[in-house]
Amino acid sequence: MTHPHRTARALRPVRLLAATLLASALLAGCTTFSEKGRDEYERAQGEQPGAHRSPGETSAPTKPEPPYDVRPLLRPAEKYLGVAADGAPAKMTAVADFAKRGGKKPNLIEFYSAWGDQYETRMVQNAWDYGALAFIAWEPFDASLKDIASGKEDDYIRSYAQSVKELNLPVAISFGHEMNGFWYPWGTKKATAAQFTAAYKHIHDLFDDEGATQVIWVWSPNVVNPMPRVKLRPYWPGDDYVDWVGVIGYYAATGPSTYKTLYGPTMTQVRAFTKKPFIIAETAAQAGERKPADIKDLFEGTAKRKDVVGLVWFDFDKETDWRINSGPLSQQAFREEAAAPSFGFDVTKR
Amino acid sequence: MTDRHTPVWADDPGLRGAPHDPSYGPGEGQGRRVQWPGAQSQDQSWSYEQQQYVHQAHPAAQQGEVTDTGSWRFDGHTSSYTDQLTYDTFAPYDPYATYTATEPAPAPAPVSPEPEPERPGYVLPPVQESSWAVDTGRSRLLGRLVLLCVLLIQAGLSLRLRGTAFEDEALYVLAGHYEIGNILHGTPVPGDFEGYFSGYPKLYPVLAAMVDSVAGLAGVRVVSLVFMLGATSLLYGMTRRMFDVRAAIGAAALFSVIQSTVFLGNFATFDAAAIFLLALSAWIVVRTGRAPIVAVVLAAPPAVLAFATKYAAGLYLPTLVVLAVLTAYRHRGVRALARGVLFGGAMGALLGAGYLFAGSLGGISQTTTDRAKGADTAAQLLQHSAQWGGLMFLTAVGGSLAYAIRPHMGEMPWLEQVGPGRFRRIALGVLLTGTALLAPAYQIHLHTEVSLFKHVGFGLLFAGPMAGLGISRLVGPHFRHPQLGIMLYVLTLVFGMVQSQQNYSFPDSREMTAVLRPMVDRKGTYLAEEHEVPAYYLRDVTGYAQWQGTFGMDYTDKKGKRYSGPEAYAAAVKDAKFDVIVLRGTVTPDVDTAVTNALRGNPHYRLAAVTRFTTSKGDGAYRIWVKR
Repeated sequence: MTHPHRTARALRPVRLLAATLLASALLAGCTTFSEKGRDEYERAQGEQPGAHRSPGETSAPTKPEPPYDVRPLLRPAEKYLGVAADGAPAKMTAVADFAKRGGKKPNLIEFYSAWGDQYETRMVQNAWDYGALAFIAWEPFDASLKDIASGKEDDYIRSYAQSVKELNLPVAISFGHEMNGFWYPWGTKKATAAQFTAAYKHIHDLFDDEGATQVIWVWSPNVVNPMPRVKLRPYWPGDDYVDWVGVIGYYAATGPSTYKTLYGPTMTQVRAFTKKPFIIAETAAQAGERKPADIKDLFEGTAKRKDVVGLVWFDFDKETDWRINSGPLSQQAFREEAAAPSFGFDVTKR
Repeated sequence: MTDRHTPVWADDPGLRGAPHDPSYGPGEGQGRRVQWPGAQSQDQSWSYEQQQYVHQAHPAAQQGEVTDTGSWRFDGHTSSYTDQLTYDTFAPYDPYATYTATEPAPAPAPVSPEPEPERPGYVLPPVQESSWAVDTGRSRLLGRLVLLCVLLIQAGLSLRLRGTAFEDEALYVLAGHYEIGNILHGTPVPGDFEGYFSGYPKLYPVLAAMVDSVAGLAGVRVVSLVFMLGATSLLYGMTRRMFDVRAAIGAAALFSVIQSTVFLGNFATFDAAAIFLLALSAWIVVRTGRAPIVAVVLAAPPAVLAFATKYAAGLYLPTLVVLAVLTAYRHRGVRALARGVLFGGAMGALLGAGYLFAGSLGGISQTTTDRAKGADTAAQLLQHSAQWGGLMFLTAVGGSLAYAIRPHMGEMPWLEQVGPGRFRRIALGVLLTGTALLAPAYQIHLHTEVSLFKHVGFGLLFAGPMAGLGISRLVGPHFRHPQLGIMLYVLTLVFGMVQSQQNYSFPDSREMTAVLRPMVDRKGTYLAEEHEVPAYYLRDVTGYAQWQGTFGMDYTDKKGKRYSGPEAYAAAVKDAKFDVIVLRGTVTPDVDTAVTNALRGNPHYRLAAVTRFTTSKGDGAYRIWVKR
């Protein structure tokens, strides 16, 4: 029983209503389902817009692990007993040998990393597993300070920083050490102090931007004695960029041979512009009759100064025999000095 | 219920004896044995059309035999017709049948006008139609089953949203814990909550904190979901009472999937509770429409409670009052007005009592009436409002228009349709649909888009019945175009799903709070952008007063110089006043810049962590500085 006439009349408003709704839906759809809208939706689901994951891949949310808080490592009550040894910390045999001869396990292991190398996560992990903090001397051989400061190396720096963040272990990094010397490509002959600070700050900023807060930043000048005319202050990046002032100075056969004369002038100069703690970032004594006395002087000088957090022994036979076992008396002296309870502690328990 | 039935040969004396019983001819039905031509106008038109059709099919019949009944006559060649109805249906196509026309009916004798019927003591409310029958217990049961499905879908859509506490949620729940302490032990609350909350801090926050102590934030959000499910159910009940089951299902279905409903169903703020209380009040208003007018007073407490829960709900109290007038089914004119006045008076009395009890509330002006004006343009606000609620609003407009034109779809033309008059229909449509425009209009006046995506939901609750009617009219009588209704529902659902996901996107603070936890104690002072979030998650180890937000601060430095605004933050950071600083970078850009600059070259602080998050607006990161 139909009413053809009436149906046709009743349909018209329905069609009109349907058409209006459809049009408005399309209009609204233009914004909600626009590219921007899709991006917003994907982001809200925690995905990267446009990134289509393969079915096997899952976005399993990793349990948030807070970044390692390096603050307890910055000014420990005891001193660091560090070492730079052949092949360490890729292989720990040299370190183990050093610990055996020195009578104490080192708790800081320094090694050198060339510009362009990836962050050596395995080595840092090795050192940490051993109970030592890794200390990387990052040497910009292949990139000029100017290029680094201008952002040309950002990709590399960022990926390095991301690796640091990912590993989430504390690490001390000294960029462009001995910048006040003339012998390195980033030294006084090929770059200016302004270029050095700009590059240093730029790297630091990129690390901050990436959230790589596990780094203990070391600003590491050579002792000023060989080039007294190079002032350190222009090379200083600022208190918020540096955690340790890593002074490098060796007890050589010639030149200053006491703690006060070797490090004193540098420390005095640095104290004029910052109160950051020192670390003797590289040291050793040249083999010779004076060596046991030098070792004693080094340890005692370090122990005496509260603002020096430790020392790193350069245990190489390079140019001359810097190793502690260059002679039995040296080894004996080192054992005695390192036995002091103020030297060495387990960095992993801080 | 009709007792129509088709008589069969056996029990029809007319077919065996008399040539025809006129009562079984076309035009008869539902057991009302009315002589043709009937006295009922509806029946008359119906039969007339039928008759006309037959005449067109057999024009020759017009010069056929004339009998006193006027019908098709069976000439005996065929005998397979079992009853008169079948006969009448197939006879026009039967070559052996001939048509007999009726004699012209005698002119009706002039009858004296019937005496004016006495005014009945009680007028039955209009009967709701649903398909071929009035709403029965069965259709109600079916409607409730569909409502259950609607609610399940709504719950699913809400629960799929995930995230850590939003700033407001954190603040309200945390404040609730302090308010409980204040109520039970009189401990002072750490902050002038009454001065800047957008609802009374001793209502929802207290409930939220109680649930939080037992079930955590997820539990508080589930309470919001229960509120929103309740609101949908009340909308269903209200619409069924006003119109019919189909409109009710449409209203509930549309309301349950718009983004504001989905969003608020998993959001621990005042909004869900306020919407529920408004819905409850509206439902009581409609439900007591046929009761004595005093009953409407029952709707006043939830309405006032809704206002106290969230001051912005006050915008909808006038709507409720007018609704009370328009839904006074039994009463017309002055008595209907009296119903509204009674309701308004009851609300006024309760508000007055509340004012005496709670005192002046600075939060009302700060957050609602005198909110800081923003810089959002009207066009932008309108565009976004349309995007968030336009579809449902347009459906309500369509429903209002259709309702204004006809009160019923005419599925049961034999029923005498007594609906509300045209004025009442138009007024109802304008009131309910227009209410949906209140929030956008008010926020356009304030030039701010803050929370608008939530507030559109308040208006759409009221537009719900009209939207339900709209979708029921779109589907048409006898479910003629179910695809249109389904399309509309699915479209609304897709929009609601996508938009709620886009809006429900807060920074993930889990990592940030995990980093902060070992850094904070009961003594420190902490600066944080959106400080409510860490203050909430770290409430077991810190107090709310230790946290400083970035919305404004005064600071006097050691030399006695006073600062305010971003300079105050910069000076305080330079003086290392804060033990921890957490910046997000987008909420208060001016203060962020000032603090970041003060941190540059600052020897007191060290960056401790950068925790990244992704929201629909883009990537961001919490940057956490600590004292060295």
